Amino acid sequence: MCTEVPTPAIEPVVVVSNERVAEGVSRIVLDAPRTAGAVEPGQFVHLRISRHADFILRRPFSVHRARDGRIEILYQVVGLGTRALEDAVRDDVMDVIGPLGHGWRVPDGTKRALVVAGGLGAAPMGMLVERLAERGIEVTLAQGAPSAGRLLARELFDNLCSRAIVATDDGSAGLCGFVTVLSAEQLGRDRPDVVYVCGPEPMQRIVADQCAGAGVPCQVSLERLMGCGIGACLSCVVTTRNGLKRACVDGPVFDAADVVWDADGGQEGGR
Amino acid sequence: MSTVDMRVRVGALELRNPVMTASGTFGSGREYADFVDLSRLGAVVTKGVSFEPWAGNPSPRIVETPSGMLNSIGLQNPGVEAFCAGDLPWLAQRDVPVIVNVVGHRADEYAAVAERLDSEQAVHALEVNISCPNVDAGGMAFGTTCPAAADVVRSVRAVTSKTLIVKLSPNVTDVTEIARAVEAEGADAVSLINTLLGMVIDTRTFKPVLPRGVGGLSGPAVRPVAVRMVWQVAQAVSIPVIGMGGITCANDAAEFMLAGASAVAVGTANFIDPTTTVGVAEGLERFCAARGIGRVTDLVGAAWKKQ
Repeated sequence: MCTEVPTPAIEPVVVVSNERVAEGVSRIVLDAPRTAGAVEPGQFVHLRISRHADFILRRPFSVHRARDGRIEILYQVVGLGTRALEDAVRDDVMDVIGPLGHGWRVPDGTKRALVVAGGLGAAPMGMLVERLAERGIEVTLAQGAPSAGRLLARELFDNLCSRAIVATDDGSAGLCGFVTVLSAEQLGRDRPDVVYVCGPEPMQRIVADQCAGAGVPCQVSLERLMGCGIGACLSCVVTTRNGLKRACVDGPVFDAADVVWDADGGQEGGR
Repeated sequence: MSTVDMRVRVGALELRNPVMTASGTFGSGREYADFVDLSRLGAVVTKGVSFEPWAGNPSPRIVETPSGMLNSIGLQNPGVEAFCAGDLPWLAQRDVPVIVNVVGHRADEYAAVAERLDSEQAVHALEVNISCPNVDAGGMAFGTTCPAAADVVRSVRAVTSKTLIVKLSPNVTDVTEIARAVEAEGADAVSLINTLLGMVIDTRTFKPVLPRGVGGLSGPAVRPVAVRMVWQVAQAVSIPVIGMGGITCANDAAEFMLAGASAVAVGTANFIDPTTTVGVAEGLERFCAARGIGRVTDLVGAAWKKQ
């Protein structure tokens, strides 16, 4: 959004709430006044979940929303770290490094935006949709999930988007099929000025290709295993037309046109 | 307020305290400037610098392990010219000794980097990396036999008068043999340990997680191995030993010094808490003060030296 990136800092945070919000997905709310005040849409925090576990690394999470000195994180239990996160209760203390990375950018003159979110890819879209709505930009959201019970942040999106359409793998809500069917339709119907994408990498690539075909600028938010989170360790590299970039400081949001995708539909070296 | 003398010597270098950064975990120092006042460190050891740019390895490049991690970065770096034009001038403005980690595929490549850096005033010392497990040619291949290790150190020694540190691999049968071999070729100090070779296999895919199969294990998991090796090497050579491997706090650092390290480096812990280095330096001073130890060098080898 702004080109100036706030200085990241380590901030102790306190758990306010931690609850299921969809099948397999939880939301943890953290009291984090400094980070909440500084974070821009699409940026992330590097969360130290436990000081006493035998897993030592921090975990990067995009900030779903930030308000009243608090940040909200949507997460899915996929391993040791997120399992420990699920066990966190009110008043537990953790710490974050943040805000980190370069988030979503709104090109000058944007009047209409298409936001495409697959699964947990809805996480970094909360703040984005809020920001776009604030600026009076007309937002169409195309959201996909395996089933109706796994669609995230429905209320927020319904309230702020002029149009919110969904696709589910099992047809339990909206279109039965992939969200990429919806994104293709939208690109053909009301040509947006910019497209924002987050979700599984093969899906991001398909939408990026659709946008390239339609001549619409597209931004993607890429996920990588991260070490330091601040640009030093070179664990989270992304292959771009301008060489290797670091997801943590050069991303996580990239211009889709710069990303070099590999033959498997993901990003070169991506998982 | 404290009266502990924290200064230590490594070759011709006098460090204000024994705490350095471990190569590859601290970028060029610049990445940590939001978190660490570099002038409070004993030295900054940069990421590995090669003669030509190196692209590094395919992703994923890291995987977490119990109390540690495997990395397979592959020494991605923009090459020595880009380093001298970019990171080095920035570092030169900081009040901290700069030690550049030097890598190569062949002995003459190490020498070419060392020769280029020899003319740079801002470089205080070189750390020759003969122990990276994540490249096919060079790296650890040089650090696991005495003749190869000696060959690289001889080539580098011939082109530089700067303090020369050699970083040793733990992936050997007898680390003291390698340490003696590099000492004989004129190394001013040795640093150890680099990472231990490891592997994680994904039981869903039946394949190793890292594309190269192996990676280098670091973090608290390796600390007892590292302390043991420092203990052995410190008694086998007469040059200073820089100890590292899983240091997260002052107590860990003290352990390495008691084993015989004259200085220590913080690596993986920088990822967990970017301020670890300064915390270790301050804590080490408190550690000494609380025990009435006047000079931090009094700790060196105290676990085995006869009183």
